[in-house]
Amino acid sequence: MSLDYVKFSGGFEKFMPKEYRDMVEHGPFGKKISVSQMGSFKEILEEHPMCAGCAMTLFIRLAIIAFPNPEDTITVGTAGCGRLAISQAAIPFVYGNYGDQNGVASGLSRGLRLRFGDKPKDVVVMAGDGGTADIGFQQVLHSWFRKERFTTIMLDNEVYGNTGGQESGMTNRGAVLKMAPLGKKFEKMDMLQMAKVAGCAYVATVVPNNPRRVESVIKKAVLIAREVGSTYIQAYTSCNIEYAIPTDKVMEDAKTVENDRYQFTEYVSDEAKQYLTERYGYKDYLPKAAAPAAAIPNKA
Amino acid sequence: MYLVANIDVEICASKSCKLCTQYCPEANTIQYSETMGTDKGYKYGTAYIAVDRCKGCALCVWVCDTMAKNNAIKMIMIDQLPLAAVTDNIRYEEKTTVAVLSNPMIVIGN
Ligand SMILES: Cc1ncc(C[n+]2csc(CCOP(=O)(O)OP(=O)(O)O)c2C)c(N)n1
Ligand code: SF4
Ligand code: SF4
Ligand code: SF4
Repeated sequence: MSLDYVKFSGGFEKFMPKEYRDMVEHGPFGKKISVSQMGSFKEILEEHPMCAGCAMTLFIRLAIIAFPNPEDTITVGTAGCGRLAISQAAIPFVYGNYGDQNGVASGLSRGLRLRFGDKPKDVVVMAGDGGTADIGFQQVLHSWFRKERFTTIMLDNEVYGNTGGQESGMTNRGAVLKMAPLGKKFEKMDMLQMAKVAGCAYVATVVPNNPRRVESVIKKAVLIAREVGSTYIQAYTSCNIEYAIPTDKVMEDAKTVENDRYQFTEYVSDEAKQYLTERYGYKDYLPKAAAPAAAIPNKA
Repeated sequence: MYLVANIDVEICASKSCKLCTQYCPEANTIQYSETMGTDKGYKYGTAYIAVDRCKGCALCVWVCDTMAKNNAIKMIMIDQLPLAAVTDNIRYEEKTTVAVLSNPMIVIGN
């Protein structure tokens, strides 16, 4: 539902579902909300059965808060842990069969454009590393080659978490897992490079131990996908169960991994930079003012 | 019985950095109240936990101890909490929430 298309007629507010009224009255619908206000507004995400202390859960929580227009956003997911939470939110969620999510999102985003014209309706795919880089690989890559205008987020826990610990293409070489007891023999796939080669307009890596950064990359990715092209975010979202990380050390692990193989990187195409600057007032991409000439030393 | 997080109002209100609200993996679990600290004469408000939603991971303890360096959060058996907030007794206001504190075991059990 959307505030722009469906409005309460005066006096009918109380007949709207409670969940919807909560989002309008105490939640982020129709307002600008940021992570710094967390704890004082009603969140879109509700209770869900993901494991205690799961970093993927935290990332999903932050991502949903960061959506620029949550009341006009539809999420798409697939088999894997993340859908257990993403589906428990007060915005529509479409469940693609395992690996179909970028195909489903392509049709959805095109259909929404036909139906609603140029008013933004944002489509955001969130799927695991197995769903994105293995089983869904072909559909993900083709949606990028076709420059489909939606955001793809990989919830990279470097394992098939939901099915008990098989290796994925995104698992690191040498990692020993419950269902990969001999250790993985191949390198972690470079999906970031593939996203760039396939023509994504925005590609970023992020770790949830920096909530403001998560907010900033999600906002940019969703805005750019409205008009410029495909956008891709790869988030490290550890699985404390399969990697045996004590839950109170999950953020410590995130920091270690960030320093090791998940440093923040961001690629923004020139077209996307221009779009963010002109349409949304971003200042980061303005040409830098020429540095003032160094003062000539006075030898006198 | 199981462990849930508990925030010491006095210790939190001396800093009130809100970091833990941004790091709990669960939505609407660590809440923020302007009045819970200021009503007691402290300068700032405090964070508090909706204990019916807390999954007991202790991630917030690490955040408060290591990032905020304030040691305001401890894990406590839910039946040992004298008073606590539960979701049904929390009201959302403009920039804060207001919670009626009660014995969580009685509220959850009834
Ligand atoms: C076509 C199909 N094959 C296999 C499965 C079983 N399955 C469910 S979740 C999953 C693995 C999920 O791993 P990943 O995508 O990395 O997500 P995670 O659970 O780690 O978040 C598998 C193999 C399925 N649901 N559908
Ligand atoms: S199995 Fe791993 S990724 Fe899945 S919910 Fe549990 S901790 Fe998170
Ligand atoms: S991190 Fe500690 S000091 Fe900061 S708001 Fe939370 S409990 Fe209070
Ligand atoms: S123990 Fe975990 S679930 Fe409970 S309040 Fe702290 S971070 Fe949230």
